[in-house]
This record gives sequence, C-alpha cells and structure tokens, in this order.
Amino acid sequence: MKLNGVQIDDTFAEAFNMRGTRVLITAQNLKWAYNAANAMTGFATSVIGCGVEAGIERVLLESETPDGRPGVSILMFAMGSKVLMQQLETRMGQCILTCPTAAAFSGIESEDQISLGKNLRYFGDGNQISKLLPNAKGENQRYWRIPVMDGEFLTQETTGMVRAIGGGNFLVLGESQPQVLAACEAAIEAMKKLPNLIMPFPGGVVRSGSKVGSKYPKMFASTNDAFCPTLKGSVKSELSDDIESVMEIVIDGLTFEDIALSMKVGIEAACALGPDNGIKRISAGNYGGKLGPHLFKLHDVLNGNLSGADK
Amino acid sequence: MSALIFTVKASVSRVIDCKKLTPDYLQGKSIAAISSIALGSQTVADVFDVQGDDATTLVFKNTTPQLHYIGYRMKTGSITIEGDVGDFTGAEMQGGVLICKGNTGKRTGDTMRRGLLLIEGNTGDYCASNMRAGTLGLLGSTGAYLGYGMQRGTLLLSQNPAEQATWLDCGLHTLPFLNMLYQSFQILDTKFTQLSNRRVRRWMGDVSGLGKAEILVLQT
Repeated sequence: MKLNGVQIDDTFAEAFNMRGTRVLITAQNLKWAYNAANAMTGFATSVIGCGVEAGIERVLLESETPDGRPGVSILMFAMGSKVLMQQLETRMGQCILTCPTAAAFSGIESEDQISLGKNLRYFGDGNQISKLLPNAKGENQRYWRIPVMDGEFLTQETTGMVRAIGGGNFLVLGESQPQVLAACEAAIEAMKKLPNLIMPFPGGVVRSGSKVGSKYPKMFASTNDAFCPTLKGSVKSELSDDIESVMEIVIDGLTFEDIALSMKVGIEAACALGPDNGIKRISAGNYGGKLGPHLFKLHDVLNGNLSGADK
Repeated sequence: MSALIFTVKASVSRVIDCKKLTPDYLQGKSIAAISSIALGSQTVADVFDVQGDDATTLVFKNTTPQLHYIGYRMKTGSITIEGDVGDFTGAEMQGGVLICKGNTGKRTGDTMRRGLLLIEGNTGDYCASNMRAGTLGLLGSTGAYLGYGMQRGTLLLSQNPAEQATWLDCGLHTLPFLNMLYQSFQILDTKFTQLSNRRVRRWMGDVSGLGKAEILVLQT
C-alpha cells in the first residue's frame, strides 16, 4: 500500500488497556492555565518511568469551564487505577494547588470516581469550605474552597475514571533527521485537533522506540535496534539503505476509534510531505501481537476502518 | 406534570404550621390525600386550594406571615414562595432549593444543614441561627442577631448587616467560586440570577461557637 508515494507497511500497532481521567484546569488567564497544566502533565511521557502518561488535550472556551474562566483540559493515563489515583493526587497537590489562580474540575463522567481535591482539602487545616452545587444537569457536585495565600484554591472533590487505551503508534521513516521531524510535526499538528487523546512524548514525538528485553539482565527494555539507522549493517535491520532516521508518535486515547482516527489523520499529514521531502515509509511498533489486546492495522486504519480489530 | 400549587384561602387568619408541606413528604400522594393532611388543628383543605401533580416542585401563593416552617427539613426538590411568610422558613433544611420572593420572619434557615435558601426580600431576627452548612442568599435587609451560633455554611448578602462582636472581618476579596454559585442560580426563577459581582467583604463567625461559617457581603 502506498499513500502519496509513501510506502505503508502491512503491519500493526499493538496497544494496551489503561485507566484514564480528564481534568479541567482553569485560571485567571490562559497563560496561567497552561502553567498549571504544563506542570501537571510534566514528566509524564511513559508509564515505564513516570507512572502516568499525560498531556494537554485542548484549550477550553470560557463557556466550557465550570467557573467561566479560561482553561485547558488534560488527559492522564496509567496502567492501573491505583497508580492513576496516586499520581493524580500527587500532581494535584504539587502542580495545581501550588499554581497561582488555578482551579481544577472533573472533566469526565463515570461511575468510578477518584479523588481530585478530596484529600487536598486538609491543606486548609480546618479552614476549608465544602460547597455542594448543581452542574448543568442539575446533579449536585461537591467542591472544596481551600484558603491559600493568593485567595482561594477551588477544586471539585472527585473526577471520573474510565477504561482507556494506550500505546497506539506509528513510525515515520525518512531520508534525514530534519525531514522526519518535519513530517512528525505536521502529523502532531493535525492530530492535536482531535479530542479524547494525547501524544505524551516531548512535542508528541519519540525517538527512542524500544524492544522488549536487553542483553543486560536488569533491563526490561532496550533500544529498538532493528529501527536504528546507525546499526543497519550490524543487526537484523528493518531499514533500507535510504533510511537515515526513524521517529515514532505514540497515542493514548479514550477509545479504539479515537486512536484509530488520530493515526489515520497523523499518517496522512506525514505522508502529505511525500518522498520529495524525504518521507519514504510508515510502519508501526508491536510485539508480534502477543502482549496488547488492541491491534491497529495500518492498512485498515488508512482505509477508514476505525472500529477496530481487537484481538 | 405541573407544579403542586398551594394557594392560601382568603379566610385564613390563624398561625399555620407547614412542616409537612415538603416535596419529600408529599411525594406519591394524591390531591385528596394531601388535602386531608393535618396542619395543627386544621387540614390542608381548610387553609389552601391545591392544584397540580408534581410534588417535587411546590409553589405557595397568596401567602401570609401566618405560615411558619415552610421547607422544614426538606431534603429534595424545590419550593417557591410567591409572597411573605412567617418564622422558621427553611429551618433544618437538608437539601433542595427554597426560594422566597417576599419577606420571611424570624429564624429563617435555623439549623439548616444543606441546600440552597434564597430570600429576595427581608428577613427577621436570628436569620441563619445555628446554621450548620448550606447556602443562604438574601437580597433584602436582615434583623438582629444575624448568624447567631452559626457553625458552617455561607450567608450571601447584598446589604451590609449590623456589626456583631462574634463575627470577624476578613476583608475584601474577589472569589472565583462565586461564578459557580451564580451559574447554579441560572436554572432558577429568581432575582438572584442577576448577580454577577464577585467582589465581597468576608466575615467569619460565629466565634462564640465553632466559627467556621462565613458571611459574604456583595460590594457595589
């Protein structure tokens, strides 16, 4: 299969079940909402070393936020509910509570509720105030007003936790590092317009794809040597002579369809640059289909079959 | 479904105990059953003309200050009072919304625990006495001993109350939380929907007791 002259490998991305949540962060202005959200989603590229994968989903209109102020929504994913709860509380305490003018609200409905400000309220040392207010549907929600030095920190008590999918991905292979990065940037720009997903790595792009295992017994994962251009002659490489750089875009999303659509949009944007701009091939990372329950077949995704091929 | 409307009959002159006329108590009852409910020595039928069938939404019309304890211990639903009423309005409220478009008597919101109580007119003495939690809004004037023994909860006032030794002035503030409170008013039929000012003077009290309650006085 080719798209705009770019070869699309007959392979698939392999993804995993995760737990996810959405938090709406508001502040006096968008600058400070971003400051809070950037801190909250910082050091959250991979569950392997960060506990969670998190990112800014989109900017919110003032009419979309519970307190009518500028804001952004963030998504956070973890491999299990316990880690997600721990990380959310820690990051709320260190990143949102501390950020001038910031407030945090639930951004997703679910029967499973996890603490947002429920335990942070004790920071108020007895001066915290609970308020039970109806949302747009008339359902009462509990909020906490916690006195802090800039005024009051306002937070909803809980947010929803839902089942999600992490690890959707595709690889961009090209003639040079700048050309591959430019294609990835174009892909990220297009994918960021879609809801319900994040690309958690720096700028949405990861250069250090990994394989399972290592020659060193203590390492669970190591560099994906089959896709490392500088090892082409010394390992069983997946790369042809004209490939000098490979980068990966990893996607976490709320549903299979969200991730599949983002892969389609991202691959199309990357391929739009075409071979004339050094983009040669699109592939995907997987573990032979043995580990993850969700398989995103590149050809199916690009043919518009977004409903999934779960194992 | 239309709101359950209680219209006071012209002949009523005695004090009426309205404790039983809450959405919780009237749920599932027919007009006939409601009409036979005893209100002290009288029945509902002696005092009110009753219309409608939605017991989650009660409306009191042609009211008089002789009606006491409206909304007493209500937990859910809404009550709208289209006139003046008597003492203990919203006393021991545990939830729901009570709106009075006129004036209320003494001990309005006494020992209130939860819910929203909005008074568009004036209240009598001891408003919010012993209040435990919840939100009480007031557009008119207050009587003496406002928030006497109030433990927690919020009093939102549009007029300055008389200063009291057991309420501490915490200064002027702009509170983002008020945006959310005002938004919650928007689905209600009340003058409180016109509020948008987030600048308040905050008082904490009643420090003769727990002292965790607040009075927020809107600044012009």
